Amino acid sequence: MEIYLPIAGMSINFFLVIGIGGLVGFLSGLFGVGGGFLLTPLMMMIGIPPAVAAASDSCQIVAAASSGAFAHWRLGNVDFKLGLVILLGGITGGTIGVQLVKVLRAIGNFEFVMKVVYVIMLGLVGSAMFVESLRTIRRSRGAGFDSAAVAPSQPRLAQLFARLPLRMHFARSGLETSAIFPFSIGTIVGIMAALLGVGGGFIMVPAMIYIIGMPTIVAIGTDLFQIVITSANVTLQQAIVNRTVDLLLALILLAGSTIGAQFGALAGKRLKGEQIRILLAIIVLSLTVKLFLDLVLTPADLVSLAPAKGGGH
Amino acid sequence: MRRLATVLAWAGLWLATAGPAVAVSPAAKEKVLTAASKNLIEIGLSYRGDQVTFFGVNPVPGADLVVRLTAAKEEDIKLSVKGRVGPFWMTVKQYEVSGVPFMYKIHAAKPLEEIIPPETARELELGYEAIRQKMKLHLLRGEAAADDADKVFQGLLKIKEEANLYNIVTDPRRLEVKEGKLFKHYFRFPPAATEGTYQVESFAFVNGELVGYGRDLIEIRKVGLEHLLTYTSQNHPVFFGIFSVLVAMGAGLGVGFIFKKGGHH
Repeated sequence: MEIYLPIAGMSINFFLVIGIGGLVGFLSGLFGVGGGFLLTPLMMMIGIPPAVAAASDSCQIVAAASSGAFAHWRLGNVDFKLGLVILLGGITGGTIGVQLVKVLRAIGNFEFVMKVVYVIMLGLVGSAMFVESLRTIRRSRGAGFDSAAVAPSQPRLAQLFARLPLRMHFARSGLETSAIFPFSIGTIVGIMAALLGVGGGFIMVPAMIYIIGMPTIVAIGTDLFQIVITSANVTLQQAIVNRTVDLLLALILLAGSTIGAQFGALAGKRLKGEQIRILLAIIVLSLTVKLFLDLVLTPADLVSLAPAKGGGH
Repeated sequence: MRRLATVLAWAGLWLATAGPAVAVSPAAKEKVLTAASKNLIEIGLSYRGDQVTFFGVNPVPGADLVVRLTAAKEEDIKLSVKGRVGPFWMTVKQYEVSGVPFMYKIHAAKPLEEIIPPETARELELGYEAIRQKMKLHLLRGEAAADDADKVFQGLLKIKEEANLYNIVTDPRRLEVKEGKLFKHYFRFPPAATEGTYQVESFAFVNGELVGYGRDLIEIRKVGLEHLLTYTSQNHPVFFGIFSVLVAMGAGLGVGFIFKKGGHH
């Protein structure tokens, strides 16, 4: 069954799109990550123009994160004050990011920059995860039982940031720290959200836990809350500046990912954490290799269409 | 407004070509009677391109027929040319290309050079060589090289042919002519053929001389949800952005209620 995507300006198999949404949803349910960082490259692989892929994924992330954010908000897991500081950064970053997309599209190197950033980011995240989960598997085999948190906390870094000016008290997280760090990490993740069409949870949550020093559950709740607002801002800006939000694409992806996530969560209960992580690491690393090859191998077409304006127009 | 401009442009073109100053003027020739199986193609949710069958009567039995499909609009497009920078391949220059049709297909029963001399082909813009001569390049950034025009044109042809927007088929099976008089053929409009007016022109030649000409117009437009989403996103981007965010949030919350546990975390 073919479906015509109005903004991407192309006809594509409905089941392929919903299947990819389902796969990413399954993985995100399994691994507890947002999945935006997998969705955008996969969309590009099936031929969706990169700018439309990133913008529509942002829209899908708004949907996917809002139900989780709502649930955490009801459980009291959102530190609104800290979330707001991160958000200010996120909105600043998102706005800069969308303008960056505009400039990069105009000079024809959006796809190049996007892939470079993806390769660096996925490469780092994938290798870190791979090494970490391998270590955990070895340790659990050796000692028989060890489920302690794996990544070492970085008290020195947290202390350093806490000493910076603009100190604030964050009651929900039980922290007294400088507002500068949450703001800057928010800005960086905001820029990436626009450039790559990701929510940024996989950077934000570890940063909140290990660097800012927030309790894990509050970090996740606050992260979801800021993702909803940051992605909403990016979606809005992309719609206004680049006109690349394909709502139909976003809704199909959402349908797929929601169903996939339920199965993912079920499967997650039957697998060990480190097995799940090493699997995700392998997926992320193979995606990295594919994107890296795209950058260095001689492309099949040296001449390509540059978007004049709008998505597929 | 745009439609009016298009109509005026066509009227102007007709006047220009109807004058006696032009050696081979399609409009001055005998009419090739044609009809299309439909004149309106609608892009709906399940659109995946469409096929239109054309029928016609050859005014001079046995004359060679050439049928051309073009988009009424000409396209100004930007093409990026990739080059090596260190170990990476990235866009190193960009050209603005004008004067080329958005869509260009030709059907004939035998190769064009066996039907018409090169001058006529150029004058009537039949064949890729004629497009190439009409194409104008304007360097937007980067450094021009001697073989750029060739490279860009070949690249353009490849992009268009892969999207099934350009092709030239010279095969008697593709253009059926019954007893030299009644002809029938079809054009495929790929999904990439966007909204707009397209024209199908039939040329009849005897010994390389134009003896007949006919034209059909095909209109493609988006309908229903496709039209609504495209129109709103391109003309009311602020509203569309807010609407998209609200729909996404609503869908997310709704889904959360259905599955109770909700969310990806």
